[in-house]
Amino acid sequence: MENTNHHNQHDEVHISSYRDHWRTLLTLLLLTLVTIVISVFGANLKALSVATALLIATVKVVVVAYYFMHLKYDKKLYTWLVLLVAILFAAFTILTATEYFNR
Amino acid sequence: MEHTSGFVLPNSGHSRDDEASKLGMWLFLFTELLLFGGLFIVYMVYRMLNHESFLLSSFELNVGLGSFNTVVLLVSSMTIAMAITAVQKGEQQKAVRLLVTTLALSFVFLVVKYFEWSAKIHHGLFPGMDYYNGLPKGESLFFFLYFIMTGLHALHIIIGAVIIAVVIARTRKGLVNKDKYALAENAGLYWHLVDLIWIYLFPLFYLIH
Amino acid sequence: MSSVSTNLNFFEAKKGIFSWIFSVDHKRIALLYLYSLITFFLVGVTLGLLMRYELLNPGKDLVEAKTYNQIFTLHGVIMIFLFIIPSIPAVFGNFFLPIMLGTDDVSFPRLNLLSWWVYVVGALMALSTLVFGDGPADTGWTFYAPYSVKTGTNVTMSVLAAFVLGFSSILTGLNFIVTIHRLRAPGMTFLKMPLFAWSLYATSWIQLLATPIVGITLLMIAAERLLGVGLFDPSIGGDPILYQHLFWIYSHPAVYIMALPAFGVISEMLPTFSQRTIFGYKAIAFSSLAIAFVGYFIWGHHMFTSGMSGTARFIFSILTFLVAIPTAIKVFNWVATLYKGSINVQPPLLYTLAFIFQFMIGGFTGLVLGALATDIHLHDTYFVVGHFHYVMFGGTGFAFFGALHYWYPKIWGRMYNIKVANVAFTIFFIGFNMLYFPMLIAGLMGMPRRYYDYLPEFHLPNMISTYGSWVLATGLIIMLSNLVAGFFGKKPKVGRNPWNGITLEWQTLSPPPVQNFDRMPVLPQNGPYDFDHKPVIEE
Repeated sequence: MENTNHHNQHDEVHISSYRDHWRTLLTLLLLTLVTIVISVFGANLKALSVATALLIATVKVVVVAYYFMHLKYDKKLYTWLVLLVAILFAAFTILTATEYFNR
Repeated sequence: MEHTSGFVLPNSGHSRDDEASKLGMWLFLFTELLLFGGLFIVYMVYRMLNHESFLLSSFELNVGLGSFNTVVLLVSSMTIAMAITAVQKGEQQKAVRLLVTTLALSFVFLVVKYFEWSAKIHHGLFPGMDYYNGLPKGESLFFFLYFIMTGLHALHIIIGAVIIAVVIARTRKGLVNKDKYALAENAGLYWHLVDLIWIYLFPLFYLIH
Repeated sequence: MSSVSTNLNFFEAKKGIFSWIFSVDHKRIALLYLYSLITFFLVGVTLGLLMRYELLNPGKDLVEAKTYNQIFTLHGVIMIFLFIIPSIPAVFGNFFLPIMLGTDDVSFPRLNLLSWWVYVVGALMALSTLVFGDGPADTGWTFYAPYSVKTGTNVTMSVLAAFVLGFSSILTGLNFIVTIHRLRAPGMTFLKMPLFAWSLYATSWIQLLATPIVGITLLMIAAERLLGVGLFDPSIGGDPILYQHLFWIYSHPAVYIMALPAFGVISEMLPTFSQRTIFGYKAIAFSSLAIAFVGYFIWGHHMFTSGMSGTARFIFSILTFLVAIPTAIKVFNWVATLYKGSINVQPPLLYTLAFIFQFMIGGFTGLVLGALATDIHLHDTYFVVGHFHYVMFGGTGFAFFGALHYWYPKIWGRMYNIKVANVAFTIFFIGFNMLYFPMLIAGLMGMPRRYYDYLPEFHLPNMISTYGSWVLATGLIIMLSNLVAGFFGKKPKVGRNPWNGITLEWQTLSPPPVQNFDRMPVLPQNGPYDFDHKPVIEE
């Protein structure tokens, strides 16, 4: 039987450049700025403000996971697993929220 | 690896497998996410049940310090990602410098957190204190959750700092190098997770007014 | 890959207690788990017998109400957290998963050892409540708030123990997932894996993703008790029902942590004792994943009477019925596997058949409880106790002992007395049904659960049940002594493959050598149960 496992070699490793990392950071800082500005000055958004804050936070999380955590360049398996966990957690919150909304 | 029967099992649990370490690390991160996930569910429900009190209480938190710490963590996430790039390129010295920067940033975060917490405790807002016990319905829940969630997060920062210190030591000795950097990569993943959780904690506690 | 140049079996390779308790060999760790599990199981059985004795007659027989509450809590904590959650994965999963995949160990052998140690620490913490503090918790194994925050008994230590035990469970699950992804023999695709590996894979995902939620919830209970402030206290805006939500978000999927490995074991034993391929391999494999997935979303059916909103009850009830589908798929496939097989009636097959019979009673009573209207009537009655024990003990418990009889010759290289094993099984089986079937009836008659006393009209079913517990205990004693006797007795050593099984563990020596294989394992041509092309293995 042939040894089909690649234990030691990282086949075609993608090395992110320093410049990419800077770009990612800038994106994240920009998003942070936006979310703070909306929160501090956008008080009239009311209920929308939490939704916006969470939406921006989620975009930030995706950026971190995709670039810093290397999901973009890793095997697709990791992305699928992350999605699975996200769906699962979303289902927990939605089911629980449904319960409390209908009390 | 000689056997009398003259064969070697193709796969072994005892040989080095960087991909397995990485998968293991990701799985561990999932458990961490759901650990915090339980707390986020509690937060969600209590916010629904005590909407006004949560809004009022969040004014007690200092948006300036919260934002500052957010930037600190984001920058530290970049420096550790860069450190891995450096290791992969064989630039050991640069990697060490970047890792030390990350470690320093983690201390900055903790120091700021320390001042935030002491200010709150000074006001008697820690669960069980007299002032806390007199808080209106809902506000005490906000602070209970604030202390549990940021406390658990700070604990993760401390653990992360210890791990980074280990990676620094090993990189300096050359044990982490361009052919063998799974440890640095996994430390990076862990550190990014700490960052991810903060990305949600920050708006939910500081920015909801 | 360590280098061992002989085929010494894993018992002989090293000697001394330290070579066991610090071993990173998955087979030794499995046996460490086995011995600790059986010990705790016997403690749990003793507590169960005490409870049954108390319930023999109406009124006080043996213990006070509070002591009874502590006994049933400790019985639940021990049986659930110390026995049944780790049972099949930690013992048989640890021992056979790497061998079935054709490798020499799990992916993280040292982590594997750590998880046993964490388990032991958790177990000692749970049992320490017997000696230290104000006695064991009296809350029931569910630790419902607000009582768990207010009672004077040692709840803090119990929930911390459950937290630690959960951590051990997570580590095992993590290890198995990585092992299955990384260490399958070349040529063994996911769809050529034995079904036991599939069921462990599904189980591991539940262990990994559900356990942290109960971990943090139990820590919140501990924090409440330590700080003296209630997070689930309504007077400050909290909600005790939220505790139940968080608890069951884990504990319902945990039911499948207990059941899925049993399904896997059954799917191994049936082809071996029918000497034919399993019917519906893919259906069984994917239904494990389906059960694991759907199982996450039905926790609310434990809370129909808690005051949860009507809409949520409706949703959870529908979702509960959905999970019956993949479970039924499995049962049909198992029965179809027997059809036209060359059936070889041996003790493991008897346990398998008992499993199917009892699990079906457990499953159907589960549907009765999953329906909203009937649940309101039955929720706080003995019907639930009967249902739960039919699933967990009649299901998983029987699968565990079946697996023990099935893999016994492989683990120890000897055979037990088959006739005695058959007799023991018969007594065990009769005792089990005598013990739990009357509970279903008592429940339908309206007997409430959790009390140390009952009204005189429930006397008859309780009497039968208590007598049944003695029959069950007799069967258990005969069964275990037969197994121990086989180990010390003069029975000749068995060969590689006493049952004529087909999965890879039957290709190696009994007991297996340290490296698991003494020659290269050969995969059957068309999937793991291809009895038509069974590789010929010389002794």
